[in-house]
Order: sequence, then structure tokens, then C-alpha cells
Amino acid sequence: MIEFERFTLENGLKVIFHKDPTTPLAVVNTLYDVGARDEDPSKTGFAHLFEHLMFGGSVHIPDFDAPLQHAGGESNAFTSNDITNYYDVLPAQNIETALWLESDRMLSLAFTPKSLETQRNVVIEEFKQRYLNQPYGDVWLKLRPLAYHAHPYQWATIGKEIKHIEDAQMEDVKAFFAKYYNPSNAILCIAGNFELEQVKTLVNKWYGDIPSGLKPARILPAEPQQTEFREQIIERNVPSDAFYYAFKMPERKSPDYYIADILSDALGRDKSSRLYVKIQKELKLVTEIGAYITGSLDDGLLIISGKLSPDVTFQQLDDALWIVLNEIKETTISDIELARLKNKIKTAKAFQEQGLLNRAMNLCLFELLGDAEGVNQEALIYSEIEPKHIQTVAKQVLNQSNCSLLKVKTTQS
Amino acid sequence: MTLRNIAPQIHPLQKIDFIEPKIFDITPEVRLYWMATIPDETTRIEFHFDAGTIRGNEKVAGFVNSLLLSGTAQKSTTQIHDELNGLGAYIDQEIGQETAIISLYCLRENVEKAVEILADAIQHVVFSEQEVNDMLREKRQNYLVASEKVGVLVRRAFQQQLFSNSERYSRQLVFEDLEHVSPLTLKRFHQDFYLKGLCKVVVVGNLEAAYIDRLIDTVGGWSKLGEPQFESEFINIPGHTHVEKADAVQKAIRLGIPLFNKTHADFLDFQIMQTIFGDYFGSRLMSNIREDKGYTYGIGCGVAESNKTGYFIISTEVGKEVAEATLKEIKFEMDRLKTEAVQQEELDLVKNYLLGQILKSADGPNAMMDLFMATQRHGKGFEYYNEAIQHIQQIDQKRILELANTYLNWDQFSIVTAGATSI
Repeated sequence: MIEFERFTLENGLKVIFHKDPTTPLAVVNTLYDVGARDEDPSKTGFAHLFEHLMFGGSVHIPDFDAPLQHAGGESNAFTSNDITNYYDVLPAQNIETALWLESDRMLSLAFTPKSLETQRNVVIEEFKQRYLNQPYGDVWLKLRPLAYHAHPYQWATIGKEIKHIEDAQMEDVKAFFAKYYNPSNAILCIAGNFELEQVKTLVNKWYGDIPSGLKPARILPAEPQQTEFREQIIERNVPSDAFYYAFKMPERKSPDYYIADILSDALGRDKSSRLYVKIQKELKLVTEIGAYITGSLDDGLLIISGKLSPDVTFQQLDDALWIVLNEIKETTISDIELARLKNKIKTAKAFQEQGLLNRAMNLCLFELLGDAEGVNQEALIYSEIEPKHIQTVAKQVLNQSNCSLLKVKTTQS
Repeated sequence: MTLRNIAPQIHPLQKIDFIEPKIFDITPEVRLYWMATIPDETTRIEFHFDAGTIRGNEKVAGFVNSLLLSGTAQKSTTQIHDELNGLGAYIDQEIGQETAIISLYCLRENVEKAVEILADAIQHVVFSEQEVNDMLREKRQNYLVASEKVGVLVRRAFQQQLFSNSERYSRQLVFEDLEHVSPLTLKRFHQDFYLKGLCKVVVVGNLEAAYIDRLIDTVGGWSKLGEPQFESEFINIPGHTHVEKADAVQKAIRLGIPLFNKTHADFLDFQIMQTIFGDYFGSRLMSNIREDKGYTYGIGCGVAESNKTGYFIISTEVGKEVAEATLKEIKFEMDRLKTEAVQQEELDLVKNYLLGQILKSADGPNAMMDLFMATQRHGKGFEYYNEAIQHIQQIDQKRILELANTYLNWDQFSIVTAGATSI
């Protein structure tokens, strides 16, 4: 159970306070309701590039990191297709330093040409390091446009191509900031050993005078219902053939989201999962197989991926895979299997909640979904899932006509 | 009106309240460390074995580690995993040069059963031919995939340059090693380094004291007799080595020298000096090579400690066309640290940052335990961190210059690159 209090400033900034009397640290977590899905299709990778620029100095403070480090803290951020999240962890007695820094960059950035120039280069190197210079590194650049034809999930957060990053202009940066980085589009969580009144005073002091801005309306092209099986084959200089089956699954707010999550666990979370036991262990068709969900806020993907054993064909795998998938659609899973899946989730959640930062990030995310209290309802939602629910969702999700398959064929002999 | 031009006042670190684990002697050499105060239901138990990759005449340490849960005469590997997963337990099997660690993560209501299943699996593993073959097949594939990564290629070559005096520390698997292994070799390794190789047990969990006694009864029989022996000095081959990977768009770079661990008088001050150089986001290397030049997504350095010694390493991946320029900048930053006194402002920042890091690494029972274990293997306790705080508070510019001049000598570094074309 994560306890918290909530309040909203006049400028629209939503604030969550989570008291933890056991820690000497404080976390200041800021979620901006903007991600790669909000980008212009001709200027992708921008939300993520922008995240880098947020460390390049703000209107009153030339350098973001140095004052925070001087206060004994550190900071980082991540961008997903849905959100951009910034966090600071520092000794609790210096929390005001983090509020000063975070509020100043919410007020306005410095927008120096040097910062834009450098971060373009840094992000291009990140593009290379993560996507181009790794075996199978570019599969998500291919799989997304295969699975999504209308929705902006068709590009990765890093962007469609390096050129989009190279082309980013200062006027784009300024417009992006003006549109998305304001109090009405942000959720702030303060976590640590404080009192509510103290937090209210501090947050009002640093954020109260930031102009509200307009919460941008989000009108994204809806992804039409997929009605046909899609397949793409790419050839790469990699050691073995690899496969990525992507099934459309319900959005984050749907009750079926959690069921699809357990379904993916049943298929491929660990060495007890069906795909591992049947296809890797018993039939030895693969040297690696797993299943997981993308966790997207809009309609997401359930992914089954792995690598073929030498001399095994994609067809052999496909035949065996569909036998396993059809089985979970046709017969309900046993209570023992379901209990096992739930127990793993329960353990994982207990360990995840140990971290102060994790709690703060989760509170912000659930507040974005509609109610921070949702973080405390997850356990109950999972515990109420029954075998028949899993069968129903399996029947909806695990279909050829709902599937996009990317095959990576090796060019090595 | 809020004054945004003026930074809020910084308050110095108050003292850190360290919580000591309870220590039980399993044998005169082997101990169990238990952190009992934890505000939730989680339990973590680690078994440390003297079964790292330096052990054994043949390179089978990693195979045995991977196969620990591969089945007994009574139970298949799937049965073992089903039972553990049924209890919601997670098992980690990790191996380093000197130690292999098997970790169990679960809720405390399941810990007894989970340990029982895990211990039985480790005790009675049979290394069936089928399981050995499955393991080799998977490792062959993983090896080939890993060999496509410049980060892996550079690490393999670096290890040979840095530990040149020790066949055991520099050796590594090649593809041919993954083609065949005799189950008998695996059994012998398992017998020598697991069933007689337990070096310590680490427990974080709100368990009953009586259970700790039962845990000792369960695994105490694996205790190692006598102290394990480790290399106490590394000798490197200075100079540049390159591993070619023609199609790589980035080049991985590693530089390193043998160094020391916490037992050396310069260790604490060296840590401070190398933080300035490259071990935090605002470091000299990051500011110059990432934030000014944009050559890389990240660059950093650090001290790696082994049981009896240690080494210093600088690591990055950069665009292939700027690899040479990057090396030049790394050398430039070394020279700058040796010739120019660090500004007081920068030194103060690093001091505060490091104090904050100590506070952070003591946050929560699991972190507290890790912090304790990091000193314990060098014969120290939490007093080490109070000493560290003192060193951080007292160090001055002169001492930084002195350390940089003593240790950062370009000609002594092993420099390894992996990627397209030699430089």
C-alpha cells in the first residue's frame, strides 16, 4: 500500500506527495504528458531529443546538473512513446535545490544553439549505439510501422531515421516547449520524509508563479482494426534467424490489459512458461523465446520473440507456435498455473515497491491514467483474474489476422 | 516574488545511521550475514561460492553455474522451475572471475520451501547429457550474438591485456569450448567448488531467528575449508590493441591499468580524483567528450575491486570517425588533471555529490547490506564509510594533483579498441 496526498496548484499543476519516514532521501519526479506519439510524422524523435535539451540550462540557471550534484543529488530522465519523465534523487534536506531547478526549467529553457547542436550529436550517437550497432538492434524500427499503420506508435522514440534528428531546428524546440512543457500538462510527485504543509509551501513557492499554459488536446489518428496477417522479412548480418510476432492488445486503461499481461507471462515469462517448455526445451526449435507486452497507454502489442536453432525453418517454428497458442485459446489454464503466475507478479511488485523512486514514478503514471490510487488497486485486479478471463482474451488477441510478423533472416552462412 | 537567480542554501550531510547485520559463524571461515530489519515482506538470500571463472583447470565454471537447476535424479529441470515459480520465487545465477553467486528473491512466507527446493537442486544436480547439450546449444548461439557487439569484443581483448600475468584471469571461452564438454568434468567442478565451495551467505529478510539456524543446517555442509586464494597483483601490457569489426558504425574503447582495492591507503582519495575525471554526469570526460563535442552517448570510468587487488578502467562507445579524437581528449583530460589544480568550486561539487552518493547507497535494508558486504570482504566494516566521509571532507587540490600524477600515466595504460579499421 502506497500512501499519498494530492493537491493542485492554481496554474493546474497536479502534485502528489508520498511520505516515507524511513528514508534520508527525497525524490522529485516530474511527468510531462508528452511522448513520441505526439510528434509530427515528419519530425520524429523530437520528444526524446527535447528531453536531452532539458538538461542544457534554463532561463535563470545556466547548468542543470551541477547545482543538483552540488546538493548531493543526481538526475535523469526517460522518454517513451507515451510520456516524458524526469527525476531527481537527493538528500532530503536539500529538496529545495531540486524544486528550484525543476521549476525553472518548467518556466523556460535557455535555448542555446550550442546545446541543440551538441545534443543532436549525442542523440545520433545514441541512435547508433542502441539501434544500429547492435545485432537485431533495428527490429523495432521495422516492427512498429508493420504493426501500426495510422497511430504514431509506428515510430520508435528515438525517431524514424537519423535525418529527423539532424534536421531539428531551434524554432521547433521552442514551439514544442511552449506547447507541452507547462504546469497544466505535468504531474509532480514529491516523495520523502516531509509533512504535507511543508510540501505545499515549497511547491507553491517554486511553481506557483509559472503561467498555466493550455493543456494541449490530444487527437491522435486511431489505429484501424487490423484484419489481415502481416509479414515482413529483413536480411541482416546476424548469427541466427530471429522472429517477432506482434499481436495487438487492449489499451492501458482497459480491464483486459492486465489479463493480456498474465497471458504473456503464461506464454513466455520464465522457464515454466508454455513456449519455453514446449518449443525451446522439448522441441529444441529455438535457443531463446519469450513473451511480453509493450505496456503502451493506447492499444499496445503482445510480443513473442526469439531466435531459431541452427537448421530450423521459420515454418517449423510457426507450426509449433500456433499449436501452443491454440491450446491456450481452446482450453482454460489450470488453477495451479494461474496461481504460479500470480505469485510471481506478487513477488515482483513487493520488490519494485521497495524503491522510493519507483513509487514516485508509479504514482505519477497512475495519476496520468486518471487516479494515482490505481497503483494500490493493481494487486486486487490481478488477484481477481480467473482462468476463463485469460481464455477470452487469448481468443481475442492471439489470431493471425491480429498479428504482424517480422522475420530477421541471417545472411551469414 | 521567488528569487530564481539565487540557488537555495545547501545543507551538509548529517550523519548516516548504519545498521549492522547480524553475523553467524557457519565455520571459522564461512559466515552468514543477516539483515533482519526490513519494513516489508520481501526476502533475499545469496549464496556465494568459490566457483568463479578462474577456478578449475578447464573452462567449465560458467557451464556448471548455468546448469545448477538442470535437474536431479528425482526431478527434471522443468519440475524444479515449476516448484520455484509456484512459490513466486526468482533465482539469479551470476558468475564473475572470482565468485559465483546464487540469489533467491521471494516473499518471506515462501522462503523455507524455496530454499529447500533450491538447495536440493544444487546438491543433487546430475548433469544429464541432454541438459548439457541444451546448455551448449544455447551458449553457442549467445556467443555468436555477443561476438557481434563491439562492447563485448573490446571487453574480451581488454581482459587479456590487463591480466597478462595470469592465465586464469585472462582466459575466456572461445567458440570451440562450446562444442563439447564431458559431464564428468562438470561433476568434478561442482563437487570441488559448489559442494565444498560455499564462502558466505547473505540474508535480507524479516525471518525468525530459528529459521536462520535451520538455513545454516541446510547449506552449512557446502562450506569451504580454508581461505580461497586469489591473485594479489595484475600486470598489464601497455599500448594499443585493436579488434577489427568492419561493419560497426561505432567503435568501443577501453583503457585500463592495474590498481588496488579498499585495503590500499590511496583508495579513498583515488576514488575522489577519478570521480572528477570521469565517474559522474558532470565529470571532465562527460563534459568534454559528450556535452561539448557530442562524440558519444556516454563515457565513464571506475575502479573495479577484486578480493586481493583491483583495476581502473575508462570505457565508451563513439562514432567510428571520432575514435582517434576521443582518445586524444581522454589523454588531454588526464594531462589537465595532472598539471592544473582543480578549481575549488568543482572540488566542492564533487565532494557534496559523493557524500550524497554514500547516503543513497545506504538507503534501505538491501542497500545497507550491499554497502556492508562491499567492505566486509576487505576486512572492514561500516567504520570505513565514516573514514570515507572524512577523506571527502578533507581532500584538497594538492592531493588531487599528486594522485593524478602518481596514477594517470598514459604510457602505462592498456588501450583497446573494437570496431572498423585500426587507428
